[in-house]
Amino acid sequence: MADRTRVHPHGTERWASKLGVILAVAGSAVGLGNFLRFPVQAAQNGGGAFMIPYFVALLLLGIPLSIVEWSIGRYGGTHGHNTAAGAFQAMWKWRGAKYLGLVGVFGPWVIFLYYIFIESWTLAYSYFAMAGLYQQAASPAAMAGFLHTFQGVGEAGASSLGTAYFFFLITFALNLVVMAGGIQKGIEFVSKVFLPVLFLFAAVLVIRIFSLGAPNPAEPAWNVVNGLGYLWNPDFSALSNSRTWLAAAGQILFTLSVGIGSIVTYASYLHKDDDVVLSSTTAVGMNEFAEVILGGCLVIPAAFAFFGPAQMTEVAKSGSFNLGFVTMPLVLGGLPFGQLFGCLWFLLLFLAGITSSISLAQPVIAFFQNVYGFSRRKAVIAFGAASFLLAQPAVFWLGKGAVDEMDFWGGTVCLVLFGLMEVILFAWIFGMDRGWKEIVRGAEMRLHPAFKWIIKYVTPAYLIFVLGFWLYDNAKPVIEMHAVDPANRPYVLATRGMLVGLFLVLAVTMREALKRHRVIKELQP
Amino acid sequence: MTTAGWIFVSISWTAITGLCIFCFSRIFAKRRRS
Repeated sequence: MADRTRVHPHGTERWASKLGVILAVAGSAVGLGNFLRFPVQAAQNGGGAFMIPYFVALLLLGIPLSIVEWSIGRYGGTHGHNTAAGAFQAMWKWRGAKYLGLVGVFGPWVIFLYYIFIESWTLAYSYFAMAGLYQQAASPAAMAGFLHTFQGVGEAGASSLGTAYFFFLITFALNLVVMAGGIQKGIEFVSKVFLPVLFLFAAVLVIRIFSLGAPNPAEPAWNVVNGLGYLWNPDFSALSNSRTWLAAAGQILFTLSVGIGSIVTYASYLHKDDDVVLSSTTAVGMNEFAEVILGGCLVIPAAFAFFGPAQMTEVAKSGSFNLGFVTMPLVLGGLPFGQLFGCLWFLLLFLAGITSSISLAQPVIAFFQNVYGFSRRKAVIAFGAASFLLAQPAVFWLGKGAVDEMDFWGGTVCLVLFGLMEVILFAWIFGMDRGWKEIVRGAEMRLHPAFKWIIKYVTPAYLIFVLGFWLYDNAKPVIEMHAVDPANRPYVLATRGMLVGLFLVLAVTMREALKRHRVIKELQP
Repeated sequence: MTTAGWIFVSISWTAITGLCIFCFSRIFAKRRRS
């Protein structure tokens, strides 16, 4: 019964080294959000005081969920399953378990469909920076105009999308090439090379930004250290606001790539006795280093030094993408060797993006291999063809709200829901005693027994609070499309229909594949 | 940058760097042993 989703196990793939899987998971976690989302969240939610709910969420939500996902993944892998659908079924004999686990395949796929387009902007902008193509845009308004024209949401509409589409195709192809290489020669190789390069690029940029001092001699207070202060000076009154705690919990969930399904799939390629506690904690530590230390030293201090405190509030409010694609090119473009540093900035984002997007693709490819019995090559081709078609709304309807719609369901609802389902499954259905044995098996690093209690009670309660508060606040207006222009509602509805269709296709084909497998098995002598 | 800001930066950076050093030292120690 436990092995019912194991139709055609291609379970022979394994990570070549422990460091390889840690770098792959850290690469999955280190994404655009580390450098763009975190500084904005911190600056807008109490500065240094934000770090109190942030670390509380890390300890009670992020680390426990990460360890649970690694354990579920390794358990599933030892039973021949490389996706959350299979792992859930292996842990829970109820027939519907695999459909709950399917959220861990559907969610990352939906995120992949729009993330890949955003990732392609970073590649395009690294070329633009090197070629000096956006240099003529000297003001935030001009730079924003350049970005909107490039995205096809400016006055020219989709007719100006040619360049963006070209880079989208390149980025898409690069992702497929990595995926075709498999676990060791594709994902592990890329993670081992790209992640150290990413840290190197980030370190170079941090050094460059901190050597700026006060770039405007007329305004000595506009300096990088005060920019760091803009991010870190604590506003303790923010702690009494529940939204600060919610923002911190949301940031931890987004940044660690927990609740997506990618870690479950990556951990399924571990050996039975590999240490999940140390691996998980190391990946979390690397992600936090990239986010809090490197990410916190880049965008906000640089923007503060150039625009000063008065404009800084406007800049921070303009959102993460504006900071990355409008503010940073302006700041870096004004430096000596600005083209080189601009290129380095966008390559940094691209490396952060591709190590994340491949982790979003792998659960779907593993699903095709496990359930449909495809070889990796066939699974990558099928995934590529389907994703290419399904990503078109994100490309052509960006200005109509398609990406926001996908992000709502894939990047927010599925993420919190899947996180909640897996921790309840692990602690309450599989059982915390069995679960604890699963966690500590092969663990060299002793995990404090308090985590047993945290995983069973605190983490689910925390997630229920996040999901409940967040649904109460956002669900109705988003579902009823309050913020969507009436002219754009058909596009948003079509995108929503596409997502529902995708989930149904995955669920029905999985059921049929399993039924067929059962018949074949029964016919065998 | 206020004193409180420096305190928050110092504590956060030290905690995260310490965590990374601790984890990697354990990984490399294990690798050397095996």
